[in-house]
Amino acid sequence: MKNILQTLFLTIVFAALTFAQGFQVKASGEQTFNFKAGGANQASFYSTTTLEDVQGLTREISGSIIFDVNDFSTVHGEISFPVLSLNTGIEKMVKDLRSDSWLDAEKYPEISFKVKKAVNIKKVSESKIEADVIGDFFLHGVTREDTASTTITYLDESPVTQQRMPGDLLGVQAEFFINLSDYNIKHMLLGKRVAEKIDIKVNLVGSNKVSL
Amino acid sequence: MAAGLLVIAIVFAIWVSYGGELFTKTQILVEKKDELFGTTYKEWKDHFVWGLDYTLYITGATVFVCGILFLVFRRKKAF
Repeated sequence: MKNILQTLFLTIVFAALTFAQGFQVKASGEQTFNFKAGGANQASFYSTTTLEDVQGLTREISGSIIFDVNDFSTVHGEISFPVLSLNTGIEKMVKDLRSDSWLDAEKYPEISFKVKKAVNIKKVSESKIEADVIGDFFLHGVTREDTASTTITYLDESPVTQQRMPGDLLGVQAEFFINLSDYNIKHMLLGKRVAEKIDIKVNLVGSNKVSL
Repeated sequence: MAAGLLVIAIVFAIWVSYGGELFTKTQILVEKKDELFGTTYKEWKDHFVWGLDYTLYITGATVFVCGILFLVFRRKKAF
């Protein structure tokens, strides 16, 4: 009797921990979410210079991520965008950004984040979790492992979500920091010294019924 | 000379009225709300912002033109 109770207790604890790693939604098993360029999908960077702060943004970010709905630690996939799509609102700065003295768009046309796994998963609600997503960030010919603080919201398909796009929807907000010197990028932009540390933010909305 | 100073003063006044930005911008970022997810994102909006770079270009051109005119009229006076 004692053994049965112990086994039952351990099973309940195990089940609770497993569900704590993922979402409690209608879908189950492995789901693939595709993120198409445009809309609210964007990546931005922010840096300080000695005289003015620099902010850049692209909306041509796309990719897919795959994960087990009940265990987000299994997440993997890739998100990327073309260097030429980055815009700062300042024409001369955009030209400098693409040049070989900065991001070198001709030699390294894409910036990407290859998602490998998620750790430190914290359940905020049945459809929202926070996690540290670990992946390989590729920039200027260099690949480095980085960790993004991420909030993921899973919305079951409904008449409200269908107004946006078909299928279940996944909202992702991520933020991480990089050091320019780690990617062999100089700190000068338009003659102004740019901060070594760059703040990168990503906002994505995707669906499991939309193809890229 | 007075006209040149006036042009420079006007140009700097325009620069200050646009917020005194360092670089001239043709687009600015505006925040939008994603009602479905309760999050915010940004969008580019076409909007001209006069920067210090434009101000200095015009100031430089004005000083150059005034300098040429000064030399031309000074030479005419001498004759």
